[in-house]
Amino acid sequence: MTPLLEARNLRVAYAGHRALEVPHLQLAPGELVGVVGANGAGKSTLVNALLGWSRGHPRVDGQVFVRGEDVSGMATHARVARGLSLVPEGGAVFMRLTVEENLAAAGPLDGSDRPAHSLDEIYALFPRLKERLHHLASALSGGERQMLAIARALRLGPSVLLLDEPSIGLAPKLVTEVLRQVRSLVGPKLSVLLVEQNLRAAIEVVDRLVLLERGRILAEGPVAAMRDDPRILQAYLGEAVA
Amino acid sequence: MNLLQHLINGLILGHAYALVAIGWTVLLGVARLVNFGHGQIYMLGAFVTWWAVARLGLPYPVAIGFAIGAGLLLGLIMQAAMLRLTFEQDLVSIMIVTLGFGHVMRGVAGLVFGGNPQVLETPLSYVDFELGGAWITGQDVMIVVVAIAVFALLRFGLERGALGRTARMVAEDPKLAQLAGIDVRRVYFSVFAFEGAAVALAAALVAPRTPILTNIGFEEVIITFVVVVLGGIGSVGGSYVAGVALGMFTALFGGFVSPAYASTAAFGLLILVLVLRPGGFALGARAGR
Repeated sequence: MTPLLEARNLRVAYAGHRALEVPHLQLAPGELVGVVGANGAGKSTLVNALLGWSRGHPRVDGQVFVRGEDVSGMATHARVARGLSLVPEGGAVFMRLTVEENLAAAGPLDGSDRPAHSLDEIYALFPRLKERLHHLASALSGGERQMLAIARALRLGPSVLLLDEPSIGLAPKLVTEVLRQVRSLVGPKLSVLLVEQNLRAAIEVVDRLVLLERGRILAEGPVAAMRDDPRILQAYLGEAVA
Repeated sequence: MNLLQHLINGLILGHAYALVAIGWTVLLGVARLVNFGHGQIYMLGAFVTWWAVARLGLPYPVAIGFAIGAGLLLGLIMQAAMLRLTFEQDLVSIMIVTLGFGHVMRGVAGLVFGGNPQVLETPLSYVDFELGGAWITGQDVMIVVVAIAVFALLRFGLERGALGRTARMVAEDPKLAQLAGIDVRRVYFSVFAFEGAAVALAAALVAPRTPILTNIGFEEVIITFVVVVLGGIGSVGGSYVAGVALGMFTALFGGFVSPAYASTAAFGLLILVLVLRPGGFALGARAGR
């Protein structure tokens, strides 16, 4: 079966210094893969590179395929149109637009053959957003902004949703709720790559784990086999645990 | 000269100011960019209109189309040259590059159109109306009507529907707008093309009021700057109010105090307004509105 997302020889460098080197990474349909690692391991660099997006000026090499199509040479907006959608760290939303405008602005893309989440589906998933429909995004709490950011990405009808640290700044109870919602989204037509610093929360929802360290994949495998892998604890705690 | 004539002059001058400034308002509101070559696009728009009418013998409305086309093309060329700076929002470099473009345009205009002042005569310049002892030409009426139409269309377009939302998203965060599937590069090109076309349209309409020289344009940049700042940066409605208010002030000050110090007084007014009301006359004070 063609993977929904595949990266080959993905390399990212800032000012000549290597930040990421991933020989191969793929997401099968219906898969939720967690990317974990310590601060500075290259997790955000990885998801940004997959979308050709960055607030800095990295040099990105390698190939990215979405549903078998090579999108490597495409600009970010074109990759979004092909089915890649990123919710960047901090739940980035348009602060000067209302919740309703944020969702309307991210309406289904022209010419897309993928089903996008309707507004009713979005409100069923995140009822809080319906209550806050006419509020400016700047007036929302951190959790609500995160929900809005995910909802906005879903409105684009993605095949692959890239979530960068959705739990950051959220209360523990809200983290569980947001990640449970993310789990419920995954299906044959939508896979999720979840970058998560909160290892314990990620392990509860993902199918597979990828452990990054200093820009390289240190280990990867099914979550059942990886959850007790000493290298994970080592990466987080910075000391040998075995 | 009676008060009514001063008021009418102020109204016409104000709409001319607003029309000259509208391109910059959108440029700042949507793309957070500046164009200090704005005045020289105005100058070229005036020369192209004159050239099409006087040299090619084309009807005035067709000549206006020529000017708009030339302005649009100049806007696209400038944006193509500055695309990297635009994406980096490097305003200082953009300011210097656009100033450079202005000087290049001035030199090219001198080479192509010569150094002699030219007068653009249009059929509407010869149509006069008398209104309670005050006089107004058909050209003046056209300036007011076109300015109102352009502002109304723009305000309507930017407030409603996808176009306005896209503009506000790019204005707020161009990087995030890319993640919403927006081709930000195309938006930047469109905005710069609009800026060039709008100022060229303004030139085609306003230039018949004064001789056309290659050194015109610098005053237009200053006026545009005053209107855009007074109006609240990026506010379409605010720019209209500021343009008309500035025109009224200049005409009344020039008529009743001293025309020689009208610009000085206008800048005094700018300082006063910005001290008392830092947001200017912005209506709603939102980018793109």
